[in-house]
Amino acid sequence: MPHDVELLDGLPAMGAAFARALVPSRQGEARIPSHAVRVEGVTQDLARLAAYSRVCGYTLRDTVPATWIHVLTFPLHVSLLGDRRSSVRLVGAVHGSNSMTMHRAVHAAEELALEVRAEGLRPHARGAMLDLVGTASVDGETVWSGVSTYLVSGMRVPGEPAEQVRDPFEPTAPLALWRLGADLGRRYRAVSQDPNPIHTNRVAAKAFGFARPIIHGMWTHARALAALEGRVPAAHTADVSFVKPVLLPATVGFSVTPDEDGFRAAVTTRDGAKPHLLMSARSAS
Amino acid sequence: MHHKVVVVGGNRIPFAKAGGPYAQASNHDMLTAALDGLVARTGLSGARVGEVAGGAVLKHPNDFNLTREAVLSSALAPETPACDLQQACATGLETTMYIANKIALGQLDHGIAAGVDSASDAPIAVSDPLRRILLEASRARSAKQRLAAFAKIRPSHLAPLAPRVAEPRTGLSMGEHQAVTTTRWGIDREAQDLLAAASHHRLAEAWDRGFFDDLVTPYLGVTKDALLRPDTSVEKLGGLKPAFGGPDGSMTAGNSTALSDGAAAVLLATEEWAAEHHLTPWARIVDAEVAAVDHPGGADLLLAPVGATGRLLARQGLTVDDIDLFEIHEAFASTVLATLAAWQDEDYCRSLGLDGPIGSLDREKLNVAGSSLAVGHPFAATGARIVPSLAKLLHERGPGSRGLISVCAAGGQGVVALLEAV
Repeated sequence: MPHDVELLDGLPAMGAAFARALVPSRQGEARIPSHAVRVEGVTQDLARLAAYSRVCGYTLRDTVPATWIHVLTFPLHVSLLGDRRSSVRLVGAVHGSNSMTMHRAVHAAEELALEVRAEGLRPHARGAMLDLVGTASVDGETVWSGVSTYLVSGMRVPGEPAEQVRDPFEPTAPLALWRLGADLGRRYRAVSQDPNPIHTNRVAAKAFGFARPIIHGMWTHARALAALEGRVPAAHTADVSFVKPVLLPATVGFSVTPDEDGFRAAVTTRDGAKPHLLMSARSAS
Repeated sequence: MHHKVVVVGGNRIPFAKAGGPYAQASNHDMLTAALDGLVARTGLSGARVGEVAGGAVLKHPNDFNLTREAVLSSALAPETPACDLQQACATGLETTMYIANKIALGQLDHGIAAGVDSASDAPIAVSDPLRRILLEASRARSAKQRLAAFAKIRPSHLAPLAPRVAEPRTGLSMGEHQAVTTTRWGIDREAQDLLAAASHHRLAEAWDRGFFDDLVTPYLGVTKDALLRPDTSVEKLGGLKPAFGGPDGSMTAGNSTALSDGAAAVLLATEEWAAEHHLTPWARIVDAEVAAVDHPGGADLLLAPVGATGRLLARQGLTVDDIDLFEIHEAFASTVLATLAAWQDEDYCRSLGLDGPIGSLDREKLNVAGSSLAVGHPFAATGARIVPSLAKLLHERGPGSRGLISVCAAGGQGVVALLEAV
């Protein structure tokens, strides 16, 4: 293994780790931990999976959604970006894009080993970018992998930023309208255990420049993938760009078009003019 | 224009007690699981199926298109049409006949019949007065009108109402109705416990010999019917306290079906379609009849299938002796026993307009792979559980074997059907 791996006894409790991850860093130079964090023997809580499925629009099945495994790895994101070896803090880090692959169907009864490392610290026009790379494995077989790319504003990384390529977007009339209630941030917090108050509290949201709480990007991702359930194969890859946050409550549009190897989907403003999230989903086998 | 309709496969999830392993699952979740298992088993992934008919007895208001929504979540093509039907506990048999009749008429060459019920995820309604006040408030054109509507709310309106399995016209629960029937027909406790024990033992045998390997797909970690008690006995059942019929009643939790969760589906087709898809036809659907009795006038609530059975056999020119296997839904052990008693009662049969008694059957031919007392009874799923199981049992016995299904239902109704192995 190229990096050190710190084996944790269990998934870290979110409260304390999150509190540390929320303390803004005063350092200007971006540093990320070189070690990976790993937890083994993670059992999946069926009641929580059922609640997660209800909030995100999934059917409760024997096999779990890819976004659910991301949620299981999230405490490890918090742990890494709350570590003193990291000058990058979760607070102020914006989840810009995400890519995850389900290598095979994962059963809700399977015990998982979860591992996350920080990689690819690189300059960006507005600061620094990094990837949190996660895997879930069963008996040594990688069954899920995910890359969450964060942008940290105002931090420095030596070098020249690479040119940012924007995902193409054509305004389209939405095929569906989703009505997101004011309590959705609270409901998703309960199932995702992501306690970031920006999603639930107006004052916290204002502190980060939003007039109202914003829904978790991973909810929007999950809801979009749920809209394709039964159509994407068990082994699939979903790439997502979080273009613009959705302020709660909201009515947003959803559109989907098949392309040569899967689907392209967009969560947009209700008139379809501007994107909130762009997704492509395709077979991974 | 009359096509032969064959049963070519079935799938259900294991049934479980309400509040058990499927407590978190909705009707939508379970029906989708049953459909996806059937799709996987019969190679229909991505296929546009002619039609899917399903239903549930305990239904949330926003589940008006429950079956269509489950189809959209399943591996079937989104162009697969679906509808919801409801015939109380006979729903799964009624959906079977709906699809079978369309196939017989040439409107479809294949289709799926299904049923699901969750007693765990049952809808809870607000009281009727509160519902009317809320509707009035929603129609209000001013804040004053709205306030005036809300001012009518009384504390007593706020108690939520869980659904009761009670007859609207009599106010009696199904168990209370059946207790009347049990006394009227003189069904004793030991006979009921014997039937209940046999149901468990036969279901356990069927599981042990792998009979359900191509009929059941595990769901949420449940691999076998969770209510099944292979080691139960007449002695153990004899120790249970009466649940219906007062302190001297003979109906207990052991010889009555438990509130259950589950879903089942059955694939029906023409012989030609089955051959094209390399599926083995198990049995053909020969005939069916639905019937009702005047239960508000005092008739036995759960004996409606008796009249239908007599008429169906007469129409087919058959007698009880021509039937190789009987599937009489075990709503309660005493329902089955009262049904058998009624079949032999000349006066009762004549009162239904039949020419004479239907006759008596050899108990070795009855519910040979267990029935609802051991499997459980998620109301709408039961018919769609029985059809493929009986079709497979008949297929095992060889061509020409005949099987009769009798399912009683709320509202003093019932559905019977005749299958014949091909």
